Amino acid sequence: MKLNSKLSVVTAGAGLIVCFAAGLQAADKFPPLAPLGDPPIPLDNPQTEAKVELGKMLFWDPRLGGDASTACVTCHERDQGWGFGDALSRGYPGTVHWRNSQTVVNAAYLGKLFWAGAAASLEKQAPSAAKGAVAGNGENDVMEARLAFIPEYRKRFNEVFGTEWPLIGDAWRAIAAFERTLIHKDTPVDRYLKGDKKALSKEQIAGMKLFNGKAGCIQCHNGALATDQKYYNLGVPPAERWDEDGLAQVTFRYEQYAKGVTQELYRKIKDDAGLYYRTKQKRDMGKFRTAPLRYTKYTAPYMHNGAFWDLAEVVDFYDAGGGENEFTDGTLGKNKTPLLKPLGLSDKEKEDLVAFLEAFSGPELVIDQPKLPPYAPLASK
Amino acid sequence: MVLSRLKGRMPCALLLAAGACLLVTPAALGEEGFGPVKAPKFDAKKAELGKRLFFDVRLSGDAAISCSTCHQPDKGFADGLALSKAYPGSKGFRNTPTLINTALKKNWFHDGRLGTNLNDVTRESLTEDYMMNMDMRLMQERAKQDPVYVKMFKDAGYGEPSNGSIRKAIPEYLKTLTSRNSPFDKGEMSEAAQRGFELFKGKAGCAACHSGSRFTDDNPHSIGVPENPEIWSDPMRHMTYAAYAMFMGVENYMNLRRDVGAHVRLHKADKSDVGQFITPTLRELKQTGPYMHNGMFRTLFEVVSFYNTGGGADPNKDPAIKPLNLTFQEQQDIVAFLESLSGDVLNGPEHVWKDKIPTEYPEIADWRKQPN
Repeated sequence: MKLNSKLSVVTAGAGLIVCFAAGLQAADKFPPLAPLGDPPIPLDNPQTEAKVELGKMLFWDPRLGGDASTACVTCHERDQGWGFGDALSRGYPGTVHWRNSQTVVNAAYLGKLFWAGAAASLEKQAPSAAKGAVAGNGENDVMEARLAFIPEYRKRFNEVFGTEWPLIGDAWRAIAAFERTLIHKDTPVDRYLKGDKKALSKEQIAGMKLFNGKAGCIQCHNGALATDQKYYNLGVPPAERWDEDGLAQVTFRYEQYAKGVTQELYRKIKDDAGLYYRTKQKRDMGKFRTAPLRYTKYTAPYMHNGAFWDLAEVVDFYDAGGGENEFTDGTLGKNKTPLLKPLGLSDKEKEDLVAFLEAFSGPELVIDQPKLPPYAPLASK
Repeated sequence: MVLSRLKGRMPCALLLAAGACLLVTPAALGEEGFGPVKAPKFDAKKAELGKRLFFDVRLSGDAAISCSTCHQPDKGFADGLALSKAYPGSKGFRNTPTLINTALKKNWFHDGRLGTNLNDVTRESLTEDYMMNMDMRLMQERAKQDPVYVKMFKDAGYGEPSNGSIRKAIPEYLKTLTSRNSPFDKGEMSEAAQRGFELFKGKAGCAACHSGSRFTDDNPHSIGVPENPEIWSDPMRHMTYAAYAMFMGVENYMNLRRDVGAHVRLHKADKSDVGQFITPTLRELKQTGPYMHNGMFRTLFEVVSFYNTGGGADPNKDPAIKPLNLTFQEQQDIVAFLESLSGDVLNGPEHVWKDKIPTEYPEIADWRKQPN
């Protein structure tokens, strides 16, 4: 098939790309959008009601952090899309984070966590966040010791994990189990794909056609999750706050230092190199994982650094063929994905596309805040 | 004259040198090596930088506390509390030790767990989660964001601010904290204090461990100080102790109801080191109460009485600790002597950073064009 042979050139990369002609029916080549099923549950951390309930409490508990002020929920707030409603996440007291806080909703489906896939599971993501200096800034020993002085937790950890004293690793397991219940799959898109042809409006259906065709979104936002979970540099501009805010500049340099870049790069770099920090391959500079699209109605701003405040801005960005950053313009790399080209969308087409993107979100996922149990002395011996 | 009175009381002669400085000949020091504390040499610019760092809250994880939060100049660089405060979210399980003369110690912390140098002590204090909980990489970048530091580090010969040079500059400042002008050093002890000194060296046997110019042998001993019950009744103190004991590899730490002290150094199988603590200095005691590793004694008289009754009950108690049969007057004399070992309060501009230290970080202008 002719289309296939063209696309194999694309996947081979190497700048030889003929390009995606406008109107290319790319949907044929990529895993089509599909209704979302249940999330995978790891065999070594099965879901139980008691574990999920414990994880929910721990998710809200700031004692799993350095100064007992910063819980998971602090940067993943229920009413901010289970993320944080600013370009850069809040960060630990005395700091600001350097990336946008991602929603926890549907994180259960992702193979790797964090914007550049630095954690291989939810069980690994939770401690990274709880311990990072600009996130939770906690330490295993203090956090584990605190749990031991909360009788309600001693009882619950014992019931769920069978240990005499709570173990910090089990806390992450419980939190991961809770996060696997934050699932959003009852969306207009899901209903439509299951056969309810009335689930999408006319505009949204038009938007879906653009998504699958002219706009080429499906090239990366494909399959049931609407992400291929691969990493691309779209030329998202750097966070504005780094130019203007000393606190953000501190964190920016800290991240370069902490992630182990060379001295030479530490001096020069002025943007988030994304996947590069994991691979230390120049070709990976500025690459971030394709974001899933469900629940995005609630998770503004968008992109790894919150560069865009609404979905219309995102669509405008893609319509312009993406942007430039120092990893695309030759300063430190020329890594912009060749998949992005100016799309030539009309205003009406952009509106339809935004309407379709909004159909990836159903009702807001609200659950009650748990009551946190107090400390108590241990019986003296 | 004060000196002659002192001479009359003391067989070992003290020679008064020019000015206020009192020199003691080796002979005068006796076996115990008493005498004024010899001030360590320090680099003035590095120490000045270290001084600012010492008072800067941005050296803690959440920018809430500085070194001086617990080591307060007005309180002999201790905090006046039985048990120290610790980082927010934790509570301390030991008494804050004075930092005066700390540069001359052979090991640090009440358990003596560090026996290397002040650079390591500074690192430990900055990074330990219940102390300042600071990621030193972030600390470095905070310092680099402050133009005052950028200049001070450069002027001090360190180049640009780095976490390594922060850990050098703070010890340089600590070297400036030296006892001076105590009545003992100036030869201005009261008669009671002079009597107390004799008892200290003689009948009371204090000098067996409290020797040298700082009045400590820097070694661990058990004297059976009672446990401070608050450590075990206040869950926040107990959990902080548990975290410490866990990290130090103490066995069965959740069931402990006593501070194992210097046991963390060698983990002796026979547990003969459990409950030992490093002999504290006797300098500046007037500024640094309450006393002992857990602040169990509020006054020096309580301390002396404790020794007079032969210390506390402990299987590892040092055999040298025995009932002393001191009279009330003799105990008061020892207290008077101990008080004579306290000198100037080091709270002037020489030792305290008086300018306001900002807590905000000015932005680096034209950031994109400036090398990081």
